[in-house]
Amino acid sequence: MSPTVLLVVEHLDGVPAPATLEAAGLGKALASPQGRLVVLAAGSSARKAAEALAAVGAGSARLAEEPAWDLCPPSALGSLVAATARAEGAEVVLIGGTCFGRDLLGGAAAAWEAAAAAGVTEASWEDGGLVVRRPVFGGRATETRRLEGGRAIVALRPHAFPPLDTTAASFEASPSPPSGAAPASTLRRTGFEPGASSAGPSLSDAAIVVSGGRGLRSPENFGLVEELAAALGAAVGASRAVTDAGWRPGTLQVGQTGKTVTPQLYVAVGISGAIQHLVGMVGSRVIVAINNDPSAPIFRVADYGIVGDLFEILPALTAEVRKARAG
Amino acid sequence: MEIVVAVKPVPEAEARLRASADGSGLETDGVKFVLAGYDESAIEQALLLKEAHPPSTVQVLSLGPAARCEEVLRAALALGCDRATLVEAAPSGPLADPMGVARGLAAALRGKKFDLLLVGKQAGDDEEGVVGSALAQLLGVGYAGFVTDLRFDAASGHFRFRRTVERGTELWEAPVPLLVGLQQAWNDPRTAKLPAILRSRKQPIERFDAASALEAAARSLGAAFALPAPRTGAKLLDYRSPQEAAEKLVRALREEAKVFP
Repeated sequence: MSPTVLLVVEHLDGVPAPATLEAAGLGKALASPQGRLVVLAAGSSARKAAEALAAVGAGSARLAEEPAWDLCPPSALGSLVAATARAEGAEVVLIGGTCFGRDLLGGAAAAWEAAAAAGVTEASWEDGGLVVRRPVFGGRATETRRLEGGRAIVALRPHAFPPLDTTAASFEASPSPPSGAAPASTLRRTGFEPGASSAGPSLSDAAIVVSGGRGLRSPENFGLVEELAAALGAAVGASRAVTDAGWRPGTLQVGQTGKTVTPQLYVAVGISGAIQHLVGMVGSRVIVAINNDPSAPIFRVADYGIVGDLFEILPALTAEVRKARAG
Repeated sequence: MEIVVAVKPVPEAEARLRASADGSGLETDGVKFVLAGYDESAIEQALLLKEAHPPSTVQVLSLGPAARCEEVLRAALALGCDRATLVEAAPSGPLADPMGVARGLAAALRGKKFDLLLVGKQAGDDEEGVVGSALAQLLGVGYAGFVTDLRFDAASGHFRFRRTVERGTELWEAPVPLLVGLQQAWNDPRTAKLPAILRSRKQPIERFDAASALEAAARSLGAAFALPAPRTGAKLLDYRSPQEAAEKLVRALREEAKVFP
């Protein structure tokens, strides 16, 4: 097969988002051995973003460098993606499943008259068609879908694919098709407030989450969870017991009435594992539970368990993590 | 203000998931369908805006098999929505092709005047979140997802809202008409009162036939549905001191699981 794969680049001032580097890795695999990987970047620093991706085997780049793209919401890129996919004769468009990718996915699929799938964790060619797999129902089941019709646009679940290392390389750049959509939107951005993410990754986006529960016993002790999270570069989560008691804000709650998270690593500290919590994190790739009650349900869904006093284990673990990351 | 909310019936959270006999999708027999969680927030936000900006109406739409759509439409009427439209489509599972759903909803809404079209940012079953942005493109209106704190300024005819993304919170404004994928309403969704529930059982539901809009060359078809092998339980680490427990865990995460940062 020699398919053409179009990678839509998400970038901040020319630095590609991690989710884009993950999509680049899959794009390279889907385009090999004889296909082409083309990147599309929009905005005034599109060229810099495309250069960072040239090394991954993207032979060519389509650039929409009008500064007006900087001000558009992601949904305004739908027509540009469709026009570029048509001009390149692409079979597949890949995009990282961040807020950016998720907001443009459906619009691009509608404009390109393509099949769409989001939250994808595996993708491969089978019998000449693209087949994708993705967790559904908060990770409680896995669905396989066939994307038929020769035009598919896929948003990848963040952290599901290893990112490609990139070093700058040369590529053949061409402007986005003149027939491509002009940067236009009725939406106007009026401001930006950096979020909690400036202190660490956000809960729904993090590769690692450390969550604490009732076993911490007090809001002061919850600091032990935050110290371990900081050592791991992880986001902090909490069970409903913690947020209901007001120890930490409700935005940290993981579970049925809170956030659903699917990180690479989920560490549950002092959380017994009520079903309402489990549905929010059971899709995580590796689960570690630390609890003093060996019969706690959390140990049934965990991969690794430490039965013991979290007030002794956590400080030792935080110290060990710092040591291991420093060495 | 004319507000439209598109909602999706999803299996209730407690439903036991099983694969259908042919293994291609979810077995829906005996499964109770309810409003998706973010759709409840979308309805709440629509009702709050209606109350804040009289005279306004809230119309609710749902596409899919009639029985389960009627359930959620009546639930929406009981909460205070004014009109309900069932967009009839060929029977399909809860994990239907999202682009087909978007085309069907677009057919039902094309040429209809609205100021705000609300969808939940994603449904609790397939978690795709595709329909909102696809519908906006098909109807030619502006779109933003991950929206919170949605306000309407009647003087200027503009919406102002926040969009929560990975790095923080963006502030946006947009004129009518606008399509929004809502993350959170101003407050928790209300619950319906018994008289309203009883009244909703008798309220009319409009019907729109969208079967022909669903067909397309490019489509996404469910091919297999699998429940994960039940986790067999944690590997409990043996240790004599907290330090040893910590060392063993870090080694396992680094060497076996390969998830250590």
